[in-house]
Amino acid sequence: MNERLPSGNRHLDAILNGGLLKNAINLIIGIPGSGKTILSQQIAFHNAVSERPALFLSTLSEPLDKVLRYAESLQFFDRAAVHKGRIVYEDMGQVLGEQGLDDVMEFVDRLLKDVNPGVVVIDSFRAFHALAPDVSSFRRFLYALTRRLTAASTTSIWNAPYSRAQAVDEAEFAVADGIIALDLKLVAARELRVLQVMKLRGSGFQSGEHVYRITDAGLLVFPRLADARDQTRYELSAGRSESGIAALDDLLGGTGYWSGATTLIVGPSGIGKTLMGLHFLYEGARVGEPGVLATFQENVSQLSRIAASFGWSIEDKNVKVMSRGLIDLNIDEWVYDLLGLVDATNSKRVVIDSLSDLLTAAVDPVRFREWMSSLIQRFTRAGVSLMLTNEVPDLFQLQRISDEAISHLADNVVLLQYVREGAELARTLTVLKTRAMPHRPVIHRYEITSQGFVLGDVMPLTG
Amino acid sequence: MPTHENRAVYSIGAVARMLAVPVSTLRAWEERYGVVTPSRSEGAQRLYSRGQVEQLRYVKEKIESGMSAADAHRLLAQDLQTGQLPATQVAHDADRLPLVLIAERDAYAANLEYFLRTEGCEVAVAMNATQAKLHFDERGPDVVLIDLLISGGAGFRLLADFASRGTARLVAVSAIDSADEALRLGAAAFLRKPLEPLLLVSTIRDLLGTSALVRSVGEQRVKS
Repeated sequence: MNERLPSGNRHLDAILNGGLLKNAINLIIGIPGSGKTILSQQIAFHNAVSERPALFLSTLSEPLDKVLRYAESLQFFDRAAVHKGRIVYEDMGQVLGEQGLDDVMEFVDRLLKDVNPGVVVIDSFRAFHALAPDVSSFRRFLYALTRRLTAASTTSIWNAPYSRAQAVDEAEFAVADGIIALDLKLVAARELRVLQVMKLRGSGFQSGEHVYRITDAGLLVFPRLADARDQTRYELSAGRSESGIAALDDLLGGTGYWSGATTLIVGPSGIGKTLMGLHFLYEGARVGEPGVLATFQENVSQLSRIAASFGWSIEDKNVKVMSRGLIDLNIDEWVYDLLGLVDATNSKRVVIDSLSDLLTAAVDPVRFREWMSSLIQRFTRAGVSLMLTNEVPDLFQLQRISDEAISHLADNVVLLQYVREGAELARTLTVLKTRAMPHRPVIHRYEITSQGFVLGDVMPLTG
Repeated sequence: MPTHENRAVYSIGAVARMLAVPVSTLRAWEERYGVVTPSRSEGAQRLYSRGQVEQLRYVKEKIESGMSAADAHRLLAQDLQTGQLPATQVAHDADRLPLVLIAERDAYAANLEYFLRTEGCEVAVAMNATQAKLHFDERGPDVVLIDLLISGGAGFRLLADFASRGTARLVAVSAIDSADEALRLGAAAFLRKPLEPLLLVSTIRDLLGTSALVRSVGEQRVKS
C-alpha cells in the first residue's frame, strides 16, 4: 500500500483508508465556505515537525493575515508551531499580483529549499489559472510545479473552489492523485455538509457521501454507516437476555430474547412501548448488563419521573440515557455518539426509542434501510441486544408493522394493540415473530400497574 | 477614552525607559499599591497599555513634587474612581525626523508608511527579511516595526538579531498572538493585527520619545 499522511481525524482516515496519499498531489475542492482552508490546516498542523515543517501558501483568494486570524481560534492551531517554524505561513499574493508564473515557480523553488517542507498547502490553486495567458502555458506550469513538488518529496494539498461537477474539467484533476470534495446539500430544507472522496490513486476508500461538521476542533467527519454484509461467521451468543417481564419471558420460550438479537416493539401511541424498553434495560441493570436508552421524545426530567413511578432510577449507573432533539439531527453523526457510548459503558442492551423518529431525521428511506441494517449487524456481531420501538398510527387492526422493511431485519417482533372490550379499551400483546425460538403467537391482555407491565390472560376469541 | 489607550502593548522595560523609572520600582509599586496592574501575556509577562503609562507618569510627577509613593497611588486610585483619568498629551514637535523601518508585506506597508509620514517620520519599507537587514545596517533606524510572520516567519529571527544590536526600539506585530515570543526576543511592544493606525502612531511616538508623555520626564530618576 502507498504511504499515508494521516489527517488527524480518525474517521476521515478511515474513509481514506489510512490518510491522504503521501508524497503525492491531493486536491481539496469545494465551494467557498465549505472548510477547505480549515481541513488543509488541520492536516498541516497534525503533520508538522521541525525536520519537515508544513508550508502554507496563500494566493489571492484571502489575505494571509485573515487566514491566520480565523485559524488562531481553532483548537488545533498551535502558536508555538508557528513561532518555532514547524509550520510556515507565506503569502504569495505579492508574487502573483505583480509577476508571472515563472516567478511563482522561482518563489516556490526557493521556499522548498529554505523550508524543506513535508507538507505544502496551496490555498487556493485556482489563482494560478488567472495568471496563465493560455491553457497550454498553464499546463506547462502545472506539470513543472508537480515535478518540483514530487522531487522535493512533499505531500501537496491544493485547495480549489470547484464543485464536484466541475471536477472533471480542469487540468489539475488529471494531475491529482487524490481528490476530496466538500459540498453542501439541501435535504428537506436542511443544509447538509458532505464529504466525498472522488479519487485516491491505487487505493480503496469508503465511497459515497459522508456527513461532516465544521467545529472549533476543525472538520468532524462521520463516515456513512454502510457496512458491507459481513459473511464471516461469528460466535452466536448462547445466552439469553431476559425481557424484565416474567410472563413475556415465558412466551419467548422461557428465558427471554437471545443475546445480540434485535427486537421490534410495534404499537400505537401511549400503549407502553417505552415502558417495555425500560423493563428490558432495568432488568439488564439488575443482572449486571449495562444498557443505553437512546431517545428523542422524552426530556430527561420527564423520563426520570416516568422511571421513578415504576421504582427505577435514571441515575442507575448501568442505564445511560442518550437524549437528543430531532432538530438538525443527522443519523450518521448521531450513530457515532451511540456507538461511542455503548463502547464506553460496555453496554449489552440498547433501546432506541423510536424508529419513527430516526426515520424522520434520516429523510431518505433508502439510505435509512442501509444504515439500519449496518447498525443491526454491528450490534449483533458485538453481542449487543437491540430493542427498537416503532409507533404506528392505527389504534386497532394494524395495517403495517414498519414502513421501512425493518421488521424483516428484526429477530423478534412484539405487537402491542388496543382491543375493544365493550366500552373499554384493553391493551394486548402478541409475539409475532421470534427467530430460532419456539413461541406462541396468541393475543395476551396486559395492564400497566405501578409494577410496570403485567401480562394477563389470553384474550378469548370474540366477534 | 479611545480604545487604543487600553490595549496592552508595552513591555515593562519599554515603560521603564519611557518614564525613566527602574523596572524594579514599577514592580514594587504594582505589588505594594495594586493600582496600576498591567495585564499579562499568556506567558505571564507584563503588558502595559498607554493609559497605564499615563497613570504611572502621574504617580511619578506627584512623587517628584514631594508626595510619598503611597499617597500618590491613593490619589491616583481616587481619580480613577471618579473617572478623572490623566490625559494623554501628544506633542507634535520633533527636532529631527526620526527614521522608522517597516518590515511588512505589501498592502500593509504602504498604509503604515502613509500614516507615519503624516506624523512626521522618515520611513523605510522592507518587503522581506533580506531587505529589512540591508536597510537596518545601512540606515540605522530609530524604531523598527517587524511583522513576525514576514518571509515565512523570518520576522522572529530578525527581531532577535536587531534586539541583540541594541540600537533601535522594536515593535513586533502579528496576526496571531505572539506577545510572549516577541517580548522574549527583545521587542519593546507587541501589537496584534489588524493594526489601528492611531495606536500604532502613538506607540511609535512613545518609543521615539517624541510624545509629551516621554519628554516631560526628562532625565530625572525616581527611587522607589
